[in-house]
Amino acid sequence: MTDAPEVLKPLRTWSHLATRRRRPTEYEVVSTNLHYRQDNPDSPWELDPDIHMNKWYRRYCNDSPLRHDDWDAFRDPDQLVYRTYNILQDGQETYVRSVLEQFSDREHDSGLSVEWAGILASHHTPARYLFHTLQMASAYLSQMAPASTISNCSTFEAADSLRWLTHTAYRTVELSRAFPDLGIGTEERRRWESDDAWQGFRELMEKALVAWDWAESFTAVNLVAKPAVEGAVLSGLSRAGRQEDDLVLSLLTESQLRDSERHRRWSTALVEMALENEGNRDVLNGWLAKWAPMGEAAVDAYCANLPDGGALAASAKEAMSSFHTGLGLAAG
Amino acid sequence: MPLLDRSEYYDLIRTTNWTPSYVSEDELYPEEMSGSRGIPMEKWESFDEPYKVAYGEYVATQREKDSGAYSVKAALERANFVDTADPGWISILKAHYGAISVPEYAAMTGEARMARFSKAPGNRNMAVFGMMDETRHGQIQLYFAHEHTRRSRQWDWAHKAMHANEWGALAARHFFDDMMMTRDAIAVSLMLTFAFETGFTNMQFLGLAADAAEAGDHTFANLISSVQTDEARHAQQGGPNLKILIENGRKDEAQKMIDVAFWRSWKLFSVLTGPMMDYYTPLESREQSFKEFMQEWIIGQFERQITDLGLDTPWYWDEFIRALDETHHGMHLGVWYWRPTVWWNPAAGVTPEDRDWLEEKYPGWNDTWGNLWDVIIENLVEGRPELTGPATLPMICNMSNIPIVGTPSNGWNVKDYPLVHNGRLYHFGSEPDRWVFEQDPERYQGHMNFIDRFLAGWIQPMDLMGGLQYMGLAPGEIGDDAHNYEWVSRYTPDVAGTAAG
Repeated sequence: MTDAPEVLKPLRTWSHLATRRRRPTEYEVVSTNLHYRQDNPDSPWELDPDIHMNKWYRRYCNDSPLRHDDWDAFRDPDQLVYRTYNILQDGQETYVRSVLEQFSDREHDSGLSVEWAGILASHHTPARYLFHTLQMASAYLSQMAPASTISNCSTFEAADSLRWLTHTAYRTVELSRAFPDLGIGTEERRRWESDDAWQGFRELMEKALVAWDWAESFTAVNLVAKPAVEGAVLSGLSRAGRQEDDLVLSLLTESQLRDSERHRRWSTALVEMALENEGNRDVLNGWLAKWAPMGEAAVDAYCANLPDGGALAASAKEAMSSFHTGLGLAAG
Repeated sequence: MPLLDRSEYYDLIRTTNWTPSYVSEDELYPEEMSGSRGIPMEKWESFDEPYKVAYGEYVATQREKDSGAYSVKAALERANFVDTADPGWISILKAHYGAISVPEYAAMTGEARMARFSKAPGNRNMAVFGMMDETRHGQIQLYFAHEHTRRSRQWDWAHKAMHANEWGALAARHFFDDMMMTRDAIAVSLMLTFAFETGFTNMQFLGLAADAAEAGDHTFANLISSVQTDEARHAQQGGPNLKILIENGRKDEAQKMIDVAFWRSWKLFSVLTGPMMDYYTPLESREQSFKEFMQEWIIGQFERQITDLGLDTPWYWDEFIRALDETHHGMHLGVWYWRPTVWWNPAAGVTPEDRDWLEEKYPGWNDTWGNLWDVIIENLVEGRPELTGPATLPMICNMSNIPIVGTPSNGWNVKDYPLVHNGRLYHFGSEPDRWVFEQDPERYQGHMNFIDRFLAGWIQPMDLMGGLQYMGLAPGEIGDDAHNYEWVSRYTPDVAGTAAG
């Protein structure tokens, strides 16, 4: 053993990255080719090949109609790693804390009209349920995606949704103190379960949460539900709030939309990669045809009773549609 | 007005269960993924995590922690500790990074299982932080190991091990996949976070950190104790679910999950951590023996935790305590003997002083394990190294996927625990290993361990070279004695003052 003729020489990086000429980045060193479950397609997990979870991964990951020879080649355009994510988001949270603190000092909420507070009660504070469904959906994609580089984007996205949920819970408490008679802090679940404004999103998300194929789940959530949420519940409501001098909503949303821009960058990169295989265009368009109408209906229902709701809905749907067109996919 | 205190809005963050109506509750939370075991949704809402953290605090704290760990690494890089450290210690680093980095990343999937499928909203939120933590642990350990790839091809295994069919990696995958990758959300919380993380990661991350600090490896000591601060938080997801299971009449199921996970964790640690602590760590740096660490962390702390929660100590507790004197010595002897089949260089750890220490910590060591080492030493002293390496394969357990061992020589008790199931003969290294199989044969019955694969002809040619090739081990990666047999000179007759004993 000690005198074996050919001895493998040390490399400057992991062997799986060593054939490239370029020195790998920190992102590549710590993010690539980590899902060992992709090594043996017949038995993703090192147990009896026919247990439920092996069948689940074979069916919903390995046998997805969205096909690519090398999903591991996917790279997050932001090249985010855990430590840079925390640096980025700690900065964002410092900003959020300063917004919350300053406007609380200026008694921002007592300056809001009761009418607008009613809209926040019906259209803003129940969003914590919606954001939580996004969080759950991203956690699903993290465990099902065929490459660690895809899972990581989704893990950060799950954390971002928990971030939005946390902001919403925080504001719910503040608003409930400024407007104690509007059911803020107590009525959100009922509103999420039965108010017309939320039923489109609830239907979309409940169905998206059981879209078990990893790529269909990605399509339903990242290409339809999130653009719909961001167009209506984030940008749309924040635009309506500007007419009411709700600067807290507008500044918080601003920060949340930075997360969603990042989500859109990686989603775009993943679609571009999938479209390297021409057969995938029909697969993605087929899913869009199924999910986009649900996304549009959710936007319409949510915007229906907002001031200038028709225009807000039209603009949210237009943004979603041009996102799809920009991806080279047919909308609707 | 100051900012709100976390306690004022925290409950709203975890008030997120709703009643679905566009799909059924069973569709949204399939039992095989969710594992609510018939306990209604609202009962899970009583989940109360003892360690609370909100998003903003999480990113601030974690940023700080990373800044600490990465700057210690940067500051000490020029000291080149790795170039001057004892080769036994280097073997610990290689074994640790290969066996731990990628499985920690994989634990993200177990956390994600809870984040999506647990019916307890608090569990779903905590598990998102758990997903983040495990991403951290995978990434930071890969990053720390990566700088060493230029030193030896064995360091490549920090990334490569879990992709290979090397027997130890195969055993680690079988264990981790069983505990955290293929279970429902509630089972993950009990088996991964409660049994494994509460019970055992303290051993690897704090026990080994103590040895690392003694050995002068401050980078590694700092890294793994930083990792453990996250484990200590997200390990607390199992306790509240355990409480809900017990309150709702599911104690027996909970007990069984803990018993399975605890035994399987112990076996993994007996082959990974035991040899590191009692043989690879240079004698002068050993903080405590493996058995003493186990007594402190497992018997002292974990036993108290399970009984506080209303569970019993596992039925095999006496056998577990007895095995603390035995199993890891057998694993170490096996790993050293089959040293070409691992990605690190096992340190023998049997100089006369080492043996005095072993005899003190494990009375009777010389009369049992020592007798086998005497044969190895004699062969080495007399220039017959070919007799100190493998010509055959060991018996491997169909549960732990590691060798079947017992006490040799004057304490001989080596025994196979066989079982015929559906016409196939399985072999186990202990009664609890066989018991684990019997609890859920469908999970394990179709799996082939390394020996099964060999006998089925999957490994060609059917010799050591074929085996190494199947395992992905080539010269330059395969293990050999960590100290290049220099320690053998302590036993040569012309060295004064030493004698085999």
